[in-house]
Amino acid sequence: MVAMRAFDEACLEALRRKAIHGELHVGIGQEAIGAGMAEALEPEDAVVSTHRNHYHALAKGVDRRALLAEICERAAGLCQGRGGHMHPFDPSTNFSATGIVGASLPVALGYAHAFGMRGMDAVAVGITGDGGSHTGGFHEALVMAGARKLPMVVLVENNALAISVQFDDVSPTKTVAERAAAYSALGLHVDGTDVDAVADRFAEAMDHARSAGGPVIIEATCHRFRGHFEGDPEGYRSKEERQRLRETYDPITLYRQRLTTAGLFEDGALDAIQAEEKAAMKVLLSEVLDMPMPDPAGVLDYLFVEEVPA
Amino acid sequence: MTAATRVNDRLAMPLPATISEAIALEMERDPTILCIGEDIGRAGGVFGATRGLQERFGEDRVMDAPIAEMGFTGMGVGLAQAGMRPLIEIMFVDFVGVCLEQMYNAAAKVPYMSGGRQRMPVVFKTAGGCIGSAAQHSQCLWGLFAHLPGFKVVAPCSPHDHKGLMAAALRSDDPVVFIEHKALLLKKGRDFRHHPDVPDGAYTLPIGRAAVVRRGSDITLATLSATVEHALSAAEDLAEEGVSVEVIDLRSVVPLDTATVAESAGRTGRLLVVDEDYLSFGLSAELSMRVLEMLGFSALTQVERLAVPDVPIPAALTLEKAVVPGPEMIADRLRRMAKGS
Ligand SMILES: Cc1ncc(C[n+]2csc(CCOP(=O)(O)OP(=O)(O)O)c2C)c(N)n1
Repeated sequence: MVAMRAFDEACLEALRRKAIHGELHVGIGQEAIGAGMAEALEPEDAVVSTHRNHYHALAKGVDRRALLAEICERAAGLCQGRGGHMHPFDPSTNFSATGIVGASLPVALGYAHAFGMRGMDAVAVGITGDGGSHTGGFHEALVMAGARKLPMVVLVENNALAISVQFDDVSPTKTVAERAAAYSALGLHVDGTDVDAVADRFAEAMDHARSAGGPVIIEATCHRFRGHFEGDPEGYRSKEERQRLRETYDPITLYRQRLTTAGLFEDGALDAIQAEEKAAMKVLLSEVLDMPMPDPAGVLDYLFVEEVPA
Repeated sequence: MTAATRVNDRLAMPLPATISEAIALEMERDPTILCIGEDIGRAGGVFGATRGLQERFGEDRVMDAPIAEMGFTGMGVGLAQAGMRPLIEIMFVDFVGVCLEQMYNAAAKVPYMSGGRQRMPVVFKTAGGCIGSAAQHSQCLWGLFAHLPGFKVVAPCSPHDHKGLMAAALRSDDPVVFIEHKALLLKKGRDFRHHPDVPDGAYTLPIGRAAVVRRGSDITLATLSATVEHALSAAEDLAEEGVSVEVIDLRSVVPLDTATVAESAGRTGRLLVVDEDYLSFGLSAELSMRVLEMLGFSALTQVERLAVPDVPIPAALTLEKAVVPGPEMIADRLRRMAKGS
């Protein structure tokens, strides 16, 4: 969680230094989901993420130097500066993302079918926000996964907001998880600010899918501490409300409290871990910002993977 | 209020405020108009182009939709068939992938398939264009809509044109794809090089009429949307170098005002079409060809086009700059054309 927070904070710093363009979405406040899911992910499992993807990428084991370099649009980035912060692709860890809401789930369905056909016990995790759960892609992917009992886990990060639109105002159901019945899927619900609970529930979801039980919808309720994107004027909620969420639901603070109350760690040791991660990211960011930008001469490279005769 | 303060207020107004004013004036006139889209109600639109409308007209007429574009785009078709005049907002034009079905198989074809019996007064309002947001949030796509018969396709530049063409779109009985440009939506009236003045009250401009926004005698440059601003800037540079460029704002892709461009190109003898959309199978070739067909193939000494080479928009700004026609790229091309005479 701490590494994920430090990573996104480095992105905010890179944005301040104008190294990132377009609408940057960070996951600050939602790290318990990333950290919780990391424990149950196997290398061959696939994760297909969203516009808010950095902590998911780290959870899947994407190299953080290459990821940060991509987010900062560098030539040595994960995707040679072509993808940027919303579109990281890493075939070596079976990680990908999309900037189109809901579009992650049909892609996860494809991974799930491939795993099934090859007789692998790998699982495809498709991630969406609550907003994405209203899309046609969500429904269609789950119809097919349910009918074919495919090893797919749909992780719904329900932070109650899709930009300004509140979940309660547009959802026909109180939760997303309860829609699972319609797809013969297992529906699970978890407090997405509690990293231990996420780890347990997510492991249960993965076990179910891995043991041919069919698809799972796991809904993790959480809170987005910052704007939808950096620069969001957030006219739809007050400063006080945001402050209250930060003070009440910070997954890192909550976990620290648990560790110190149980007598497992002293505050000093935890401070040191956080300081260490921050320092490491600071070094990494300055190294990344020294890397060269992509050469415009190669701008047409990679349109096709195969050489196209002139 | 004096005329001077009124003009100053207008110049300080962000373009989205002018757009929402246009929509409000039409909604006042016509109770069958309603707006549906993501974040258009409580938030007033991600750029503010529907700000204040929900407070004024209520949640039924200005509705925040879930991320269910296929659903609410088709809803627009049904509303229109039921006698309403919906404005459907697709936040960014890149997202039409998920609802194109209802747009091109229904909205665009129903008037024809019904033998003209079914009117289709829908406005699909959306934002396109490059502001550093990479491949899935930067496209223009007006060429795509223009290729599919049955849409009127409008992409204005000036605040004046946005207001008049939005009103015209809402009064049209045909489906209109109204494509705003993200870079323009971030500007205020005074940032525009041409026509920042906006009359009070409702007015319409005819859809399908281009505007000559700068007079010139050496080269005709036709373009639209944010590129008009880049073209005017390039034309200013070229003027200092002794080359006189006439700049035409097409304002719509369908209908395409070939006559205005042909009249100009016939005088200058040289035509450059600049397009922020993809190069191949698009506006630049279509317009060049129509002008040649109108004037005859030997009427012009030079016909050139400058558009995004056929590649997705890259994330890195160094790469984006290399593919999206900006003021320098346009000025360079004009210089080369001027020398080539
Ligand atoms: C198909 C589509 N429609 C709209 C958008 C614009 N958009 C980007 S993120 C977003 C909200 C997503 O909300 P949610 O799925 O809850 O995820 P969160 O941002 O809360 O993590 C919207 C509307 C988009 N990218 N794709």
